[in-house]
Amino acid sequence: MTVTDPAPGGETIADRVPSGCPVVHLDASPPLEAGSHWQKANELRETSPVFFNTHAQGYWMFTRYDEVREMYQHPEIFSSESITPWEPEPVYRFVPTQIDPPEHSKYRQLVSRWFAPNAVKRIEPQAHEVARRLVTELAPRGECDVITDFAMRLPTEVFLALIGVPQADADLFVPWVEDFFAGFGGDLAQQEAMGAALGGIRQYWVDVLAARQDDTEEREHDFVSMLLHSTVDGEPLGDALILDILTVLVLAGLDTTRGQLGYLFRHLAENPADRRRLIEEPQLIPSAVEESLRLYTIIFGDGRKVAQDTEFHGCPLSKGDMVYGLVSGANRDPRVYDRPDEFIVDRRSNNHLGFAGGPHRCLGAHLARMVMKVAVEEWLAVVPDFRIASDTPLMERGGGAMMALLSLPVSWEVSA
Amino acid sequence: MKLEFDANLCRGHGRCYTLAEDLLEEDDEGYVTARGQIVDVPPDQVEDARNAAGSCPERAITILED
Repeated sequence: MTVTDPAPGGETIADRVPSGCPVVHLDASPPLEAGSHWQKANELRETSPVFFNTHAQGYWMFTRYDEVREMYQHPEIFSSESITPWEPEPVYRFVPTQIDPPEHSKYRQLVSRWFAPNAVKRIEPQAHEVARRLVTELAPRGECDVITDFAMRLPTEVFLALIGVPQADADLFVPWVEDFFAGFGGDLAQQEAMGAALGGIRQYWVDVLAARQDDTEEREHDFVSMLLHSTVDGEPLGDALILDILTVLVLAGLDTTRGQLGYLFRHLAENPADRRRLIEEPQLIPSAVEESLRLYTIIFGDGRKVAQDTEFHGCPLSKGDMVYGLVSGANRDPRVYDRPDEFIVDRRSNNHLGFAGGPHRCLGAHLARMVMKVAVEEWLAVVPDFRIASDTPLMERGGGAMMALLSLPVSWEVSA
Repeated sequence: MKLEFDANLCRGHGRCYTLAEDLLEEDDEGYVTARGQIVDVPPDQVEDARNAAGSCPERAITILED
């Protein structure tokens, strides 16, 4: 087995793989038929709690719930300096995503209040307005692609409203986010468009910053203005850091919610009984949203970089090694969940890791839950019955980035 | 029955105060206000309390039976 070119006389990571640790070669980035990634995660988890994957420079994989949670809860061992296991030295820096404790909490505190439940509740009426407008426009058509016509547009407009910039700028952000993620999963033909999209997003925030630069007072309900008037360790953040924060919020928040909404709406399209139940018992919608985050998690796995030599479940980890916690395996682990591969609308004790765990727990979790709940409420109020309108199997983007259905064509009866 | 909330493990997922809304509440940053405390559970809220504890992704909530 060769994984990396060893330095003369040097030891490679592959040389340290103990005899009891199975070796696989798994590149999760190509698109596959929808559901394939969760199936693969199930197979891996039931074969072994740990693997060595020879993909890229080689990295360790943990497949079960307890091990993945442990990875998240120990940032002193598992650093977020890199979160993509095939890219130990990333050229980008997401703040606070890639900052480790104790520095991390300074930045996290700055932004967490803005995304806390109370702040999210404040814009829930706006989310209802956007969702109702989108569904009302779509309803007479009798068909749409949920992914592009609804699931991407809704979280984008709500996010912009929360940040305090014009919702109409969703016209700019939707194509930028599409172009970015077309390249982020590893498609080399899309790298130029990805770079251009990133440039567009950055320039947008440069302009927003410039418009606020001379304000003497902080603007109300204006996230960028809040950042401009904030300090860390007594110092202003500076434009570069503010741009890093704003860019990662766009990249972490919009495509992800779209991805989760797509799988939830696929489930509703294919399961009339669950649809009916949510119409009759709308108080179950939050629980259904939570179950979709578990069963249909868009995170195939999450990467960390080993910060200190340690023995972890039989693996001799060395500083600088990369690890990959298979969130898709954890969320369907039969050691934790009854009927793990079933969608149970009113599942109790749902402690899924779809929003990660530990200090880097998804900042936008409360926002995402609200947007998903509102999406289901408003959609089912106008389109209670709908079905998938495709003769060919649905395809999903690979797990190199976040998974998402490439399209979700649905249709419904239009009353005369 | 009581619930004990580990202050170091709680990360503000918000599952507990959503599932036991008559028993728990959140602060302005999204953490449960009972972080680092022990909370008495009235008999009519035992089921909600169990759901809340079982739904914490950090296992930050321990059920203390009487």
